[in-house]
Amino acid sequence: MKSSLTEGTAPETLPAALEPQNEKKDGKQDGKLSLFRLLLKDRFATVSALILVFIGLTALVGPALMGDLATKQNLLFANKAPFTLAHGWEYFLGSDSLGRSMLARLVVASRTTLSVALPAVAVALVVGSLWGVWAGYHRGWRENVSMRIADVIMSFPSLLLAVVVLYVFSPSAANIVLILALTRIPIYLRTARAESAELQSRTFVDAARTFGAKPNAIIARHVIPVVLPTLLTLATLEFCYVMLAESSLSFLGIGIQPPDVSWGLMVSQGRQYLQTAWWLSIFPGVAIVVTTIAANVLAAWLRIATDPAQRWRLALPRKRLIARIPAKEAQP
Amino acid sequence: MLIYLRKRIVSSALPLVVVIVGVFALARMTGNPASLYLPLNATQQMRDDFTARNGLDQPLLVQMADYFGGVLRLDFGQSLRTGQDAAAMALRAFPATLQLAATTMVLAVLLALVVGCWAALKPNGIADRISSFVSMAAASIPDFWLAIVGIWVFAITLGWLPTSGVSGAGAWVLPIATLLLRPFGVLVQIVRGSMVSALSEPYIKLARSRGAGELRVVTHHALRNAAAPALTVAGDLTVGLVNGAVVVETIFGWPGIGKLMIDSILQRDFAVLQAAVLLTAVAIFALNILIDMGYALLDARVRPVTVKA
Amino acid sequence: MTSSSKPPFPAALLKWPALASVAVLGLSGCSVANSDAGAASSTTVRVVLGQEPPTLEACESNLTSTGVVVRSNVTEPLIERNPTSGELEPKLATEWKATTDTEWTLKLREGVTFQDGTPFNAEAAAFTIERAVNSKLGCNVEGYVFGDADLAVKAVDATTLTVTTPEPDPILPLRLSFLEVVPTSTSATEKVREPIGTGPYKIEKWDAGQKITLSSWDGYWGDKPAYAKAEYQWRSESSVRAAMITSGEADVAMGLSPDDNIGDLGVDYPNNETVALRLDANEAPLNDIRVRQAVNYALDKEGIVNSLYQGKHQVAAQLVPEGIVGHNSALKAWPFDLDKAKSLVADAKADGVDTSAQISLVVRSAQFPKITELGQVLQEQLSQAGLNVKLKMLETSQHLTYQVRPFPDDEGAVALMTQHGNQAGDAAFTVDQYMLSTGAQSYFGTPEFDAMIKKADAASGDERKKAFEDIFAYQNDKVVQFAHISHQTGIIGKAKSVKYTPNSSSGDELRVSEMTPAN
Repeated sequence: MKSSLTEGTAPETLPAALEPQNEKKDGKQDGKLSLFRLLLKDRFATVSALILVFIGLTALVGPALMGDLATKQNLLFANKAPFTLAHGWEYFLGSDSLGRSMLARLVVASRTTLSVALPAVAVALVVGSLWGVWAGYHRGWRENVSMRIADVIMSFPSLLLAVVVLYVFSPSAANIVLILALTRIPIYLRTARAESAELQSRTFVDAARTFGAKPNAIIARHVIPVVLPTLLTLATLEFCYVMLAESSLSFLGIGIQPPDVSWGLMVSQGRQYLQTAWWLSIFPGVAIVVTTIAANVLAAWLRIATDPAQRWRLALPRKRLIARIPAKEAQP
Repeated sequence: MLIYLRKRIVSSALPLVVVIVGVFALARMTGNPASLYLPLNATQQMRDDFTARNGLDQPLLVQMADYFGGVLRLDFGQSLRTGQDAAAMALRAFPATLQLAATTMVLAVLLALVVGCWAALKPNGIADRISSFVSMAAASIPDFWLAIVGIWVFAITLGWLPTSGVSGAGAWVLPIATLLLRPFGVLVQIVRGSMVSALSEPYIKLARSRGAGELRVVTHHALRNAAAPALTVAGDLTVGLVNGAVVVETIFGWPGIGKLMIDSILQRDFAVLQAAVLLTAVAIFALNILIDMGYALLDARVRPVTVKA
Repeated sequence: MTSSSKPPFPAALLKWPALASVAVLGLSGCSVANSDAGAASSTTVRVVLGQEPPTLEACESNLTSTGVVVRSNVTEPLIERNPTSGELEPKLATEWKATTDTEWTLKLREGVTFQDGTPFNAEAAAFTIERAVNSKLGCNVEGYVFGDADLAVKAVDATTLTVTTPEPDPILPLRLSFLEVVPTSTSATEKVREPIGTGPYKIEKWDAGQKITLSSWDGYWGDKPAYAKAEYQWRSESSVRAAMITSGEADVAMGLSPDDNIGDLGVDYPNNETVALRLDANEAPLNDIRVRQAVNYALDKEGIVNSLYQGKHQVAAQLVPEGIVGHNSALKAWPFDLDKAKSLVADAKADGVDTSAQISLVVRSAQFPKITELGQVLQEQLSQAGLNVKLKMLETSQHLTYQVRPFPDDEGAVALMTQHGNQAGDAAFTVDQYMLSTGAQSYFGTPEFDAMIKKADAASGDERKKAFEDIFAYQNDKVVQFAHISHQTGIIGKAKSVKYTPNSSSGDELRVSEMTPAN
């Protein structure tokens, strides 16, 4: 059953996999524009994109706009409830346990949070994926050694790393990035290796090999484009994980340290006020959740939009989706 | 398969040693534990005595040789904190974490398979949107926060569950619920993603055109192919749980290995830390071997090549 | 095309996950969760601590987490300090007096037996002292209370003991109150995790990682305690400890924070801890006394106490609170005067002191409730005075490298936040460590100051009190190594069903025999 199915699929896989290149040639000139138009057609994706742009801008220019508002304390004005303009717009989201503006602190924290999460994810993604694809493509000893290295990293207690970094270096954001990136590499490494190992035995890769393409060229042109969507989905999930890991480190007292502030640290510090001043931990928590969901929604959309086999789904009004399936099937 | 298994076990030995050597060296970079274990007004003489008594005055290589010598005789050293056998402490704490992690992962995988497949049947449909939203939100809530809110709502306000501890079945609910959300959220995304791809593959159409029922198509053809990435991610998440249920263990007073590990790190209890890391590393290596074997079984195309290598 | 109409998953597919999860739950449920939930009862009092005791070894009982379970419950000392009055009271010794300058003679209580049935006598008392103070065991109490000095002990007869100190020691009885007596059968070469004592409770069971159960001992020489059993559990989050009181899972919870919202189930008590900044006068700008004075003026102690600690702490003027021998009740806390602080800094600057040099404000994370907030407030207030302050939150081990000698020498000026415990009850324990120019926790001193301290240490009675009072006044006046912030107040959570009044030593020595059912 299994083998006959595999044989049956083989001839069809080839054109499907070659499709991306045709697509690129055809759609090059208006690629960007049509992607944008596609985005506007999906309400959820549009909102997500707007949210992310807003958060990005906040992290970029917000701290400068807030000035010293985020550090200005007023002990007589601590833990003021949110959603009132009575104390001025700065205190619309309430004040924290030292009477500082929650709004200003959230804004300043967004920069720290993103400047930890984005580089950590990016470094781990690039290193882990390339390494994994390479290992999976070549198989043999390269694969074995890589997997064992991944095992080593995975079974290494990241908390110890964090304490070492805290003890030997200072608890700066850059060091947290280093720890988080290092400990998350195996995730991409293993996933990329698995996918790439599976792909390298496929017919279209075989075909490329028989035409004399170099391994690196095959990896770049045939393996990576196919593996990328899964890895990107993983990366968006990891983006959220990294923000949470950073807050867990704060909870255990070995993450970002005051006077620096991140969303994770705010949730962690605010947890002791859950019953007396809920906004101290809820607002930064909501910021993490909203950012994550927006990133995920956009990533899910992007994954479909950049996948030629599925892109048509977005181009059509939703009601006609199902009716179109047989027609699509008939195409190849 | 047995040959493969033996090979894997042999090839895991060296990485295991690397992990222990790394932990051994790094732990000793975090300072002399003397000041933690002696009174603040301890004299230099007392500090030196402490350091010598625990062999910390020796060069790192000598300490390491001593340690590995001990390990070969199954002597993993003594805890500085409690004076107990380090291996015994780690072995005592490990089952608690393992049970928590296993229960959580089984539930997470099963729930995620059901929800993920359901969402994938109609990409961008209502079910897909809802499950995506819920799973993403689930995966992005800080666990310690959720745990504390959980205690507040279910233990204090409603009084349905105990706040913490390990006594009775009720005590399992909050820790598992807290741990479950993230793996569940991640797995739903992964399952959904690979199912959407798998369902649009030509061989699915082939199967459909041959008249296979929808359930059979989903469970036998699509799921089988979509399972590989889900398996990898589930494995990684399990490793994360074995290694890092620290936060949940800390809050709920769960006497597991994560709590033991963070305590030994902060208390510079080197022997216990090493024993705990060794134990979890062995478990993680075993788990990885199981995952890879699961892979080989799932995908016949991978297996022969791996065995040849 | 069939996908849209069919239900995605029939019941059959949903059934096995459910079954499997039930099976896993069932399997795992039986091995860890074998201990029953200790139900509320009038025979058992349930206590929740912040951490599991590392050991119950009697000679380590000056460690808070050990002592809170062991002291006066399992084991007892020869002499006991009354935490409220500060007076020494008889326990296993009925009377004591100095027979010479260096020799003390103690009369021991008769008719006391250890929990293993052996009698308590001078031999056991002598063994306890030898074991804790003179042996190679490395007991914590040795370093904490006795230092390097060895004691010569002699059992004169069954109920008479003499203790000889190398130097005259007027507070030897107080030092002895830290020693918990163990029988001669206790190992002299190894520490013992579960000691045998003469106390009202014996250790029944220690489920490592889960709980410790004490049960009352029938052969106790004193009054039988009200509770037949005491159960100890531990949770590191204070909000969880508070929740256990609210939900009825525990009767007494230690170490709560003012924001745990425990309401009228929380009982305040002075915990004898004092918070202060210790200023390093070896580095600029703190090497100028005016800058150190400015630090004192710049701190709004009232504001901190009222806003962060809901007015429960007391503004401090010295390292020891009231009730400690040597406390100077005439001392007033430095007033909050930002202008004065600014002008002092300006004066120092005018005289060539580099007031822009960075001061590291070193704080240990999670040392006590709201310490993170306190650190940030102090940083802000000192910056207001024109100082360049960098907040450094450190974990315990790292903080200790700053706290005790040898201090790191590449750090520049350091202002270290210290929480000083005064459980010993005598200023000598404070002053020797914090103010002698060679003290383990002292940055500097002066020869004159050292001489004052040495003299006070050797004095006794009222003369001693006066000498220490002068020392505290002198430090504020001429030395200014410390910027005192507050004497702390602890919060214990207590269920309505238990009657108990915490006192200043409750955090270190929680006497279950003082607890009674409320009805």
